[in-house]
Amino acid sequence: MTGVLKSLTVKDYKSDLKPIWCPGCGDFGVLQAVYRALAAIGRPPHEIAFVSGIGCSSRIPGYTTAYGFNSVHGRALPIAQGIKLASPELLVLVAGGDGDGFSIGGGHVPHAIRRNTDLTYIVMDNQIYGLTKGQLSPTSPRGSTTVTSEYGSLEEAVNPLLYVLAYGCNFVAQGTPADMPGLASLVEEAIRFPGFSFVNVQSPCVTYGEDDQQIKAQKAKMKTLASLGHDPKDKLRAFELAQAYGTELYTGVFYRNPNPPPTFESMVKERQTALASKAVPRERILDQFQQQ
Amino acid sequence: MTTDLVIGMAGSGGDGIVSAGESLIAAAAYEGYHAMMTKSFGSQIRGGESSCRVRLSTGRVLNPGGTLDVAVALNWEDFLKFGAELPVGDRTVVIYEAKTGVSPDALPLSGVKPREVFAVPILEMAQKSAGSEKAKSTVVLGLLAGWFDIAREAMLRGIHKKFAKKHPELVEANEKAFAMGEAYAHAHPLLEPRAMERPPKRAAVDGKRLLVDGNDLCAAAAVFAGCRFFSGYPITPSTEIMQFLTRELWKYGGSVMQAEDEIAGIGAALGASYAGKKAMTSTSGPGLSLKTEILGLASLAELPLVIVDVQRGGPSTGLPTKPEQSDLFQAVFSAHGDVLRPVLAPTCVADTFDVTVEAFNLAERYQTPVLILSDQEIAQRKETVDPIDTSRFSIEERRVPTPEERQEYARFRFTGSGVSPLSHPGLEGGNYVAAGIEHNEHGDPTASGALHARMNEKRFRKFAPLFTRRDLFHLEGDPQAPLGLVSWGSTAGVCSEAVQLARAEGLNVKLLVPTLLYPIADEIFREFFASVQSGLVVELSYQGQLYRLLRMFSEVPKGVLSFARSGANPFQPRDVVARLSELSVALQSRPAESRPPQE
Repeated sequence: MTGVLKSLTVKDYKSDLKPIWCPGCGDFGVLQAVYRALAAIGRPPHEIAFVSGIGCSSRIPGYTTAYGFNSVHGRALPIAQGIKLASPELLVLVAGGDGDGFSIGGGHVPHAIRRNTDLTYIVMDNQIYGLTKGQLSPTSPRGSTTVTSEYGSLEEAVNPLLYVLAYGCNFVAQGTPADMPGLASLVEEAIRFPGFSFVNVQSPCVTYGEDDQQIKAQKAKMKTLASLGHDPKDKLRAFELAQAYGTELYTGVFYRNPNPPPTFESMVKERQTALASKAVPRERILDQFQQQ
Repeated sequence: MTTDLVIGMAGSGGDGIVSAGESLIAAAAYEGYHAMMTKSFGSQIRGGESSCRVRLSTGRVLNPGGTLDVAVALNWEDFLKFGAELPVGDRTVVIYEAKTGVSPDALPLSGVKPREVFAVPILEMAQKSAGSEKAKSTVVLGLLAGWFDIAREAMLRGIHKKFAKKHPELVEANEKAFAMGEAYAHAHPLLEPRAMERPPKRAAVDGKRLLVDGNDLCAAAAVFAGCRFFSGYPITPSTEIMQFLTRELWKYGGSVMQAEDEIAGIGAALGASYAGKKAMTSTSGPGLSLKTEILGLASLAELPLVIVDVQRGGPSTGLPTKPEQSDLFQAVFSAHGDVLRPVLAPTCVADTFDVTVEAFNLAERYQTPVLILSDQEIAQRKETVDPIDTSRFSIEERRVPTPEERQEYARFRFTGSGVSPLSHPGLEGGNYVAAGIEHNEHGDPTASGALHARMNEKRFRKFAPLFTRRDLFHLEGDPQAPLGLVSWGSTAGVCSEAVQLARAEGLNVKLLVPTLLYPIADEIFREFFASVQSGLVVELSYQGQLYRLLRMFSEVPKGVLSFARSGANPFQPRDVVARLSELSVALQSRPAESRPPQE
């Protein structure tokens, strides 16, 4: 890790690529919040790996100057864990949509959480598949009419907040681009948290999303958890508040473990150190199979 | 004197028959014999029937051998479950547990009259000598040492080594059991003595020969080649690779992640490679099916990665514990889009080392996933391996952009070779986005047909040097022979012995074994086939997958046929020789005018 020689600003994290998002897309606000959080933390872009899957939101790494990996649908988390374990000194960010994280890639979330590699996972949750033009998503409320649910969807929506709390995630927050500065500080806090952190972002789809998820509606509806007097150490209360996903729009930190457990990579480091003396020189690696 | 002996044993799970095989091969290896051991189990997780075959020889052992010279049955019910693996013939000496009550002239072996039959009170001897039926396997070792004069001292040494530390009280008991078995054999001599000849002394090798299976050697080779990250999901018959690395990799500053599924297994490995570490994952056919999407990503993002597929019978769950060579099509073709990725196959346990190191080198040199197609037999059979001179291997590292190149870095720059310098996170100025989406030279997404065509061309052109890698092919026999064999993987060892037998019978035959299975090196195959009028492509798959690949990507003479059969039905050298003889006869009897002109 190199020291910070000059203080970095938002500009240093902004790439020349022009986002493909629709004008007014919530993801612009998320991108802005990420720029701000990264500038506040100040790690140089080459020490950051930004990993994503597939979907509108997954284009985000390309709009930063960090190293990026725009991978395949649903697989950002395994790839990010491999990166972090190979190079623990990197700052590793993961982003994707609700389909990426809670449908096709849903099986990876509990395991990334229980391994507790120090990643920050930002889900841009718009309750719709936008890139493929408006199909049902795992977070679409029951009854949603979309091009794949013409008569209304029959399934209950996934509650991402409850899922990750139940999986044992040590940092769970929710934000919205309707409060971009608030989102920026949540992302920054999540990155600074030692261990796996999760930020759900209610990022509206201007093209296929419902009216009540647009920025204007969100502004009228949102309530900070702080204003409710929520203590982020209180995990049971966090579960209660998370139940309101889909009806209320709470922003802030639902849960932050005051005594975060060791990260996977820190335990790996300990093990490597403990066993290093048992390494044999490369040319003697086969001696163990000799019949003596 | 006997120079080659094939011993097959079967019993119930608790009989220790596989452990007897392990002791036998370890002693034989120590004594200086060449040896090979294969194991086979019933489908039960614990208990149930188990068996092993050990082939010992004073010369190199090329395959597990055919009909047994010695059959040991602790009970007939279990023995008969391994009919295909433990074939009894008219030269076999059958040794079985007297307590089974079966009369020696009424063995449950249909249509076979073994050379000699011994009903031995094995259980009784174990109880008498060691006071425990657990010593049955030691009695068997004593019998084998007594009748066939195999590695007596080494076996006693093995007994001492096995028990001295944890159960010193068992050393004497087992020594007694061994002695009783040996005495029984001496008191009941074989009608036709078959004592093993002593192995030749070889100062350079004695005490340094390895005894190892393909999975362990593959894993050790990975560490040697610089692998520092492994993630995978347990799957038979590849899991031992992961088990070895979970013990070893930490010592070298590497790490291992047992993934939640096959997809995460390859995903994390690809992530580690992207971050600059050499990485590997291992699996079997069903797992490779799941890994396919990320294999494609690795090809498009041009990232190095080694994937081991230890083949088993398929499709689907198929035959998880039996060998088959039927994943070749999957290894070569399973991708959407136009993809070329190198596929290598080891031909024996020792070769697994070379192939694994080569796979890591190719992965780094061409920035590509490389598939190793091992199979259940090579992966799980133990072999004696002559010391491997590791100084003959060079280890390649990836071509990282220089600080100058990072001034204006373009990850996918069009270069003469098609290979572009590969940066990784942490390198200042090398920042880029790796992606599964088509991209321009800088890695930015594109939907341009022109760029897509150029990138495809780049991604194929970089492999051009592979097509002339003659060192990735073994050739045996007279290069001008009119009869030709092509074989790969574990079947190659069968063909190797078949060539020796056939040549001894006057057939002029040669053998080509590719360790590079794909891309098909057209020129090398054409050269081989130039003199061939008739021949066989021998492989363990119903479709004859290599034969069909050769027809697709090279010119195969009309007289060369596919000799293929479904997995778990291993070829014997004699099967191949018999087919070759037929081909040879057909060749002689062809009318003169249809033969190619003689020089």
